[in-house]
Amino acid sequence: MNATVRLARAEFRKLFTTRAVPLSTAIAAVVTVASVLIDAAVAGKPGQHALGSTLETYAMLKIGVVAVVVMLILGILAAGGEFRHRTIVPTLLATPQRARVFAVKVAVIALFGAVFGAVIFGLGLGTVTGVLAAHGIHYLPAEVGRMYIGTVIASACFGMIGVALGALTRNTVGAIVAAIAWALFVEEITLNTVAPSLEKWLPVGASTGLTNPPGPGVLAPVTAGAILAGYAVVMLVAASRTTIRRDVG
Amino acid sequence: MSVISVSHLTKRYGQVLAVDDLSFDVHPGKVTGFLGPNGAGKTTTLRILLGLADPTAGSATIGGVEYRRLPDPLRQVGAALDSDTFHPGRSATQHLKVIAAAAGIPHRRVGEVLDQVGLANAAGRRVGGYSLGMRQRLSLAGALLGDPGVLILDEPLNGLDPEGIRWMRGLLRSLAAEGRTVLVSSHLLTEVAQTVDEVVVLAKGRLIAETTLAELAGHSSVTRARTTDATRLADVLLAAGIKVRLVDGTTVEARGTDADAVGLAAAGAGLPILELSRHDEDLETLFFDLVNDKQEVAA
Repeated sequence: MNATVRLARAEFRKLFTTRAVPLSTAIAAVVTVASVLIDAAVAGKPGQHALGSTLETYAMLKIGVVAVVVMLILGILAAGGEFRHRTIVPTLLATPQRARVFAVKVAVIALFGAVFGAVIFGLGLGTVTGVLAAHGIHYLPAEVGRMYIGTVIASACFGMIGVALGALTRNTVGAIVAAIAWALFVEEITLNTVAPSLEKWLPVGASTGLTNPPGPGVLAPVTAGAILAGYAVVMLVAASRTTIRRDVG
Repeated sequence: MSVISVSHLTKRYGQVLAVDDLSFDVHPGKVTGFLGPNGAGKTTTLRILLGLADPTAGSATIGGVEYRRLPDPLRQVGAALDSDTFHPGRSATQHLKVIAAAAGIPHRRVGEVLDQVGLANAAGRRVGGYSLGMRQRLSLAGALLGDPGVLILDEPLNGLDPEGIRWMRGLLRSLAAEGRTVLVSSHLLTEVAQTVDEVVVLAKGRLIAETTLAELAGHSSVTRARTTDATRLADVLLAAGIKVRLVDGTTVEARGTDADAVGLAAAGAGLPILELSRHDEDLETLFFDLVNDKQEVAA
């Protein structure tokens, strides 16, 4: 068995032997289903679109963000946790080729992120379909498939961005706080108010071009995917350089 | 033939010189103690040896090869750098299986090494609940996983209870008896004196002594002589090439010699010997003197 395959098995084993993955999957699943059900419950009320309308179904399916946020955190934990718990020492003793360790970790998180995005969006979509069917509606708007694929890609990208942040900061708590502060205060509150046209070009803004239905202030999916992948690549290059160079121990 | 070879190794962190032109060799079939007070540069040296840190200058190799270039590192070198390199949420078995997966070591070895270090009964428990002694055993299990010919252990006796220390000593001796190269660091000489064959002593990043324990112990022999004029006796002994220390006006202590030599030198100078005794200084005092530049031991 070649070294890369062995490393990938070790990385998957790391993912599935702590509580982070089952816990965050459970939380993401509950939040997703609850969000869809709450949207369905208020549909048709004053100021809300009617259940079964294209706009309402899109609103119910704006759930990609859940998978994206969870994957960002899991990515940070996967890389930053190695330094926090100092498991980086046995990791590098077993595989001293740091570039390979980093690349495999990124690939494993990206793959896991894609599956995670698919599962969470699938769960949301299943809930939406069930709710609509219960009301005799058997129709989904055209962009749903594209939002599904967009969520899969955005989750993989944010998993990779998380790995980069965890490796750069070597501090899980600091990286998670910084990432959430960036998303909430820098992108959502400040830029959205000061320079709304700029926000869609930043990581969280770009991700909405993938996970959300088309609309004003949202990038076209292909552009959004390219921008997000670009951010991930730049951050991963910076993180891999420091991971390879810096002393450990 | 040496297995571990450190040559002119230097490591600088900003203004601090952690390791300063350090050279020594470690041989197979023996337990070598890597000794020095806290902050002497032991762990830094081991980290460089294991490819976790880069040297500023010099080299550290295992079997003539840098750790990072070893084709199958865990089957050649087993290392336990400290007792806290575990995810607290994983069990001992899970922790070792992760390492085994990465190194391509069969999973049956996990059970074997856990048994070997006496953790079989706690194998399924989360490591977060382990005592320091149990973590030390788990670190050692990780080092033994690949059944390597070289073992590098940083302070492996820390946190062990007396029974654990006795067990660890026996294990280290038996590993060396199997022909393996065993390098064990410690800041306490007495802790490893019963275990090591050779010692490499380090202080302030520099090599102080590289010798056998027997030779080091030979230097701990002190001959005490009481006479009428200690100052004169000290001069006579010094002239004879014997290291001496003046205790008071009537007593001198000579080191690295025997009572015959002191007695004869005194007689030759016409000084009466009122009392002559020999005793062994404890190894810890000798170690302390060594690292404080009070004494030199030939390499």
